[in-house]
Amino acid sequence: MLKESILYESVGELAKRIETKQLSPVELTEAYLERSEKLGPRLNAYARLMPVEALDQARAAEKDLHRGHYRGPLHGIPYAAKDLLAVKGVQTTWGAKPFAEQVFDYNATVIEHLRNVGAVLLGKAAMIELAGGLGYMYASASLQGETKNPWDTGCWTCGSSSGSGAIVAAGLAGFAIGTETWGSIVCPSAFCGVSGFRPTYGRVSRHGAMALSYSLDKIGPMARSAEDCARIFAAIAGHDPLDRSTLAVDKAAFTYSPAGDLKKHGLRVGWLSNAWKDYEPGIGKAIQAAHKVLPRHFASVRDAELPEGPWEDAAGFVLQAEVASSFGELIRSGRVQELHDPLGRVGGYVNLTVTGGDYTTAQRVREILQKKMDALFESYDVLATASLPAPATPLTMNLDTGLAFPDPLGAIGNLCGLPALSVPCGFTEKNLPVGLQFIGRAGDDAAVLEAGQIFQRATQWHRKHPRLS
Amino acid sequence: MNKSKQQIINRRDFARRAALLSAAMVPTGLAFEAPAAAATNEQLPEGAEKLSAEARAEAEARFQQIMSQYGSRFDGEEQKRVREGCYKLQDSLERLRAFHLENGDAPAVYLKPLLEREKKPQSAPAAGAAPAAAKKP
Repeated sequence: MLKESILYESVGELAKRIETKQLSPVELTEAYLERSEKLGPRLNAYARLMPVEALDQARAAEKDLHRGHYRGPLHGIPYAAKDLLAVKGVQTTWGAKPFAEQVFDYNATVIEHLRNVGAVLLGKAAMIELAGGLGYMYASASLQGETKNPWDTGCWTCGSSSGSGAIVAAGLAGFAIGTETWGSIVCPSAFCGVSGFRPTYGRVSRHGAMALSYSLDKIGPMARSAEDCARIFAAIAGHDPLDRSTLAVDKAAFTYSPAGDLKKHGLRVGWLSNAWKDYEPGIGKAIQAAHKVLPRHFASVRDAELPEGPWEDAAGFVLQAEVASSFGELIRSGRVQELHDPLGRVGGYVNLTVTGGDYTTAQRVREILQKKMDALFESYDVLATASLPAPATPLTMNLDTGLAFPDPLGAIGNLCGLPALSVPCGFTEKNLPVGLQFIGRAGDDAAVLEAGQIFQRATQWHRKHPRLS
Repeated sequence: MNKSKQQIINRRDFARRAALLSAAMVPTGLAFEAPAAAATNEQLPEGAEKLSAEARAEAEARFQQIMSQYGSRFDGEEQKRVREGCYKLQDSLERLRAFHLENGDAPAVYLKPLLEREKKPQSAPAAGAAPAAAKKP
């Protein structure tokens, strides 16, 4: 029986044990499976555990290892994939009743990439139905019910990568894969106190992933550190002819640089002064403390401002119009009524009324915004601010009113396809995690990941984990 | 709505529905539900008063368009949510339209012509094998 502390180790630490044969992939997989079987249902973290398949993969990883074929830092590391990624022969529900029996006969490219580097798929992570694209009011908007936050099971994990956040925070797997259209990696990472990375749009293939919004969807890792995110990103990034939105080969691929190679005092940080209107109690203190850490470790930290404009409106129109297409048939057929959430059952009808003209206007505003943001990155390598102005919300809260704050940064980051990383930076008085967010220029994922690693070398917040009996 | 009801539609109803159709830009050839009643002041969603009369009319037309096509699917509470959604969308749309754009400001998404070398394979990848070009270098 492995100690709990080992299950909370980073991918880097686990990889070292596996490579040196101090830890067997089968032993590690069995331990995560046992913990997942025990704690997963209490948190509603999984859509489905795959013990048979996981142990088969772990045995294969172990066999490879004994033959001297070590595939790299993800070899033998168990992970969970959000239940919108196709896994051959396994139900992929998209978190929604109308798709509860859906089975694909192929793997998503991300699943293939992780398989090729020896990672072990432990199960499918719970998620908000259809990634929340038709709107939702309650944390219960999921086929699995509300996902409970390991730090406080009376609170939510945020969505839509809700299970991915809970799984990493509760030490149920080495890492998880999430997706973001608008906030779905950054928010659960912040609420759950894990490190979550949203890559530049087009760097990770979406082949085999549920399409919500064709020009906004991204896939990224959620893990125990920024360094882990870099390792996982290196494995899943790359051009894919099966996804024409992926960038060219030389722009999409990412090579992981070990932490020892970090540039010392090289990055210029723009501290955003207008990303959030107010912080809820407990957030401001942690963020101010994080702000004070930065000057000692970065080349410069100066105040920066986001450009002003109707960015949230533009992002909303792009999202609504694209959802009207991606789920148009579901809405028109009336099967949308099978969704769990009362807002999700009706929101799509409003999307159907967005006109082509208004969608195009939003896309024109988007182009202008991209240029403004690119200009801002002439002065800064990364921007930084709180990941969110609020901590994890109660499970029963009406999110339509209780978690409704302006989010220009989420709109801008996703409209422009910018990379972002949320890392833990403290706790509220109620012991709920607080997240710090780094955002980079499109394509400069390396700067964002490096900023996170530098911050985590100077702090220990990412090493904290909840007490779960 | 069934065919017999469509056949007994009177001229006045036809004109009223045609006006609604025109305002809401509904494609022709669709079956109609009976349109929902126009909103009374009490039914107007919170914040609706901030919209101009034209914007309110557009939001209401949007709502009527949905009701004319799908109205029978909603109960009272759901109708209220749909109406709120239409007004929220309108509020957002007003801000978007107010943003100054020049004629030459092109949209962010461009056509990426499909070149021969980029064409997708005809079939899905074989089980257990990554697509050749998707493999890590």
